[in-house]
Amino acid sequence: MIRLTVNGTVHELDVPSYRTLLDCLRYDLGLTGSKEGCGVGVCGACTVLLDGKMISSCIALAAFADGRSVTTVEGLARDERLHPVQQAFVDAGGFQCGICTPGQIVSAKALLDANPKPSDDEIREWMLGNLCRCTGYYKIIESIRAAAGRSRA
Amino acid sequence: MTFTQECVIPVERERLWDFMMEVPRVARCVPGVEAVEAMDTDAYRGSLKVQVGPIRLALEGVITVEERDREAWRARMRAEANDRRLGGGIRARLGLTLAPDDTGTHLTIDTDLTILGRIGEFGQPIIRKKADALLAEFARNLQSALAA
Amino acid sequence: MNAFDYRAPRSLDEALAVLAEYGEDARVVAGGTALVTMMRQRLVQPRCLVSLRDVSGLERIEANGGLRLGALVTHREAEISPLVRERLPVLAETFRRVGTIRIRHMATVGGALAHADPNQDPPVTLLALGATVEVRGSRGARGIQVAEFFRDYYETALAPGELVTAVTVPSLPVATGAAFLKFLPRTADDYATVAAAAIVTLEPDGARCREARIALGSVGVTPLRATSAERLLVGETLGEGLLQSAGEAAKTAVDPLSDHRGSAAYKREMTGVMVVRALGQAWEAARRAQNRS
Repeated sequence: MIRLTVNGTVHELDVPSYRTLLDCLRYDLGLTGSKEGCGVGVCGACTVLLDGKMISSCIALAAFADGRSVTTVEGLARDERLHPVQQAFVDAGGFQCGICTPGQIVSAKALLDANPKPSDDEIREWMLGNLCRCTGYYKIIESIRAAAGRSRA
Repeated sequence: MTFTQECVIPVERERLWDFMMEVPRVARCVPGVEAVEAMDTDAYRGSLKVQVGPIRLALEGVITVEERDREAWRARMRAEANDRRLGGGIRARLGLTLAPDDTGTHLTIDTDLTILGRIGEFGQPIIRKKADALLAEFARNLQSALAA
Repeated sequence: MNAFDYRAPRSLDEALAVLAEYGEDARVVAGGTALVTMMRQRLVQPRCLVSLRDVSGLERIEANGGLRLGALVTHREAEISPLVRERLPVLAETFRRVGTIRIRHMATVGGALAHADPNQDPPVTLLALGATVEVRGSRGARGIQVAEFFRDYYETALAPGELVTAVTVPSLPVATGAAFLKFLPRTADDYATVAAAAIVTLEPDGARCREARIALGSVGVTPLRATSAERLLVGETLGEGLLQSAGEAAKTAVDPLSDHRGSAAYKREMTGVMVVRALGQAWEAARRAQNRS
């Protein structure tokens, strides 16, 4: 039995010990925004925030989140309004197929929380663990730059 | 992958050969081998447990003696074993050559090893290192068995 | 993954008791980045997972002459810690090079040591720094020099039922410079093809080498010291020829495995290159330290 807060809502779940956090979010909670891309924590498609810190949820046990707070891409928008990072990705065209996008957005949000005015180098270094097969990364970086420009620190 | 291993056993060639041709007896000198039983002439079922840190392989399979040439002091064997838990296995062809040496017998083992599935993805280089450690212990066990 | 018992003890004593209860069938987990990945691939199938997440007292970074990092300090915490950056910047830099920030948020100092993959970065620098691994078992606590801690691929000197509680790193002497270089011909988040940590201490004259340490990663079944290369440097002044000789000597100390990060021959060659560069940088840093003092 674990008790975790996901996007502000407390859940008590009876999950087997081998349940990964990603599978818990997707199957036990229906939050399918986070994706399983590689299954070994490398590609970033499963990125969520655990107590505000970005982690690979595919290699975290659900039990690791017991008593903790998780933020997924579904938790970013407020009352029908997209989070500034999400809006920036829409406006700048920061995605094509969209499979890596939740991970990109969650990671970018974590970046701007930690560093509201990152340089391009800082963006690249922070985001290096979020792989994308479609965009070639340019539009992703532009989106993050735009989001940084818009949000006043 | 193919590799060659060599060791010297301080036992004269004839005696070593006779010992090695009794597969269950010599197989028990390989560290981690358990339960070798004959299925047929020259075919034996057995299991081999190997550990690399936290990773435990439990290989179960068959070893077949394909050729024994006492005149040329050469033997060929084939081994096929799987680890059902991990999903993977090994296929090996082994060539053994016994040559006389000042102190006993120079044993050469030529191995052509194919590692299938999970084990292969993870551990090709490690398995090579393990094979060397296995041979060293095998040689020691062989000596003890023959000294008795 | 296989089904397993999951235990989350709240104290070290409780953790040790669970380990004693399950024996060989239990594995300790902290961040899980290595272990859970291996369990997902069914390479490791423990009957019990003992999570240290809730064990208090293992998460501190302390200065005590040198530095003491608790086993549950994450790579990210070590990387950004003002204490580590100030006292041992080479160590903070080493932790920074591991994987991605996601990995570093979970992977711990203790876990990195206990996992004993020779391709990891922190053990290389810790070896060069002469660190000691603090260990606790049911029979008590002991310290194991990093040089003795790593026995083989994925194998440490930990006895059954023992776990890592901290790593202590002595402070650097005056007039010392250090460098950690990670040669990554592939992606930035990968393990190294070769990693080299060099620490150079100069004599008071600021010209001759008093002591040198060279540690190498990814070129053997454990991290290695290139002691024959180190000996070449003692008493000498900096020169290109000297560094090249050290690089050549270091090549004889390694026994790399061929894998998808490079053939054994390539890794051996790159060992020489990275040792020369790391020594050069460490020596320059030592000179700057000497000039400041």
